[in-house]
Amino acid sequence: MKKIIRNVAFGLLGLSVSAASVAGPAEDRSAFQKFYENRFPDTPLEDFQNGVYSILPSAREQWEAIEEFPPYELAIERGEEIYKKTFANGKSLASCFGEDGAVREQYPHWNKERGMVMTMELAINECLEANGEKPLKYKKGAMADVSAYMSYNSRGQRINVEIPSDDPRALAAYEMGKEQFYTKRGQLNFACADCHMHTAGMMYRADTTSPALGHATSWPVFRSKWQSMGTLHRRFAGCHNNIRANPYKAQGEEYRNLEYFVSYMSNGLEYNGPAARK
Amino acid sequence: MKQGLKVIALGLALATPLAFAGNGTTAEHIEAATAAYKQVAKETGYQWTVTVSTIKAAQKALDSGDDQGARKLAHQAMDLVEATRTQAKLESESWKMRVPK
Repeated sequence: MKKIIRNVAFGLLGLSVSAASVAGPAEDRSAFQKFYENRFPDTPLEDFQNGVYSILPSAREQWEAIEEFPPYELAIERGEEIYKKTFANGKSLASCFGEDGAVREQYPHWNKERGMVMTMELAINECLEANGEKPLKYKKGAMADVSAYMSYNSRGQRINVEIPSDDPRALAAYEMGKEQFYTKRGQLNFACADCHMHTAGMMYRADTTSPALGHATSWPVFRSKWQSMGTLHRRFAGCHNNIRANPYKAQGEEYRNLEYFVSYMSNGLEYNGPAARK
Repeated sequence: MKQGLKVIALGLALATPLAFAGNGTTAEHIEAATAAYKQVAKETGYQWTVTVSTIKAAQKALDSGDDQGARKLAHQAMDLVEATRTQAKLESESWKMRVPK
């Protein structure tokens, strides 16, 4: 009997130790933001929403000049047209997202009924399909345009992603996104965290890597390299290709959960998309 | 010297995947590399783009009649699959060390 009690006591002790060693999302975010504050002490927290330009004064001036005549302006106009276009059933995207589509702050979020992370791009396609329209491709083109229009109208809203504590599946999705972020993949053996955290601000060939804090704020972006607009999942896939890892499917579970994680890490920052990037 | 060579030979024999142990045709070696790639992807979710392109290059070489080149590429692809498997195994735990505390 004594032996059983002793074993139970050891078991409980073990459980309490392991629980203490596993940080929750709030602790993760605090440590994450602290990391960047320490690494880039001259950058105010709020400024991380400007990506690499928050830490690279030499490129910032150029970027600010580009933003005066933004290359994404036409995308916003095209996006507005698509947004306001009447479907065959007489409705439009506005029927799902309101008159101006300023709903960026609502995404990504945990959908308890469906047990999954919902992103804005996924919601756009679900709205189209629910109204008998064809879905859009997720990485660029019309989807990036509509997303640009909606993001533009949402500027100034703040990221406020929640990991509901009453649904363990939400925490599991967050943990999956976290693992994605810190796990090395591909032949080059890189994790997101390698470039955008531990060596953020350093040169990789001719480019400086951006800090991951603020990564979720400015999408979609017009990227000079692409010479077109692209969504966050297009960028995720591009990064995976760069390190010679097969990318996941855009809007698949892996990338939605990664978006959930990186957005949560940037809670409190402002949505300022669309934006121009190198 | 002879002993050193024996050790190296033994090492290579042990390191060679079972599918490559026999004297199968080059087409079978390519098939084995493809199957191993798919199996690792299914088991771990880890896939390298370079493995796919190496397998394709092996098939292309075989189709053009370069049996020796194709076989070499098939073996390279198998090495990449094994490296992918090792990465998946290591990363299943070591990613946690990169999380700031």
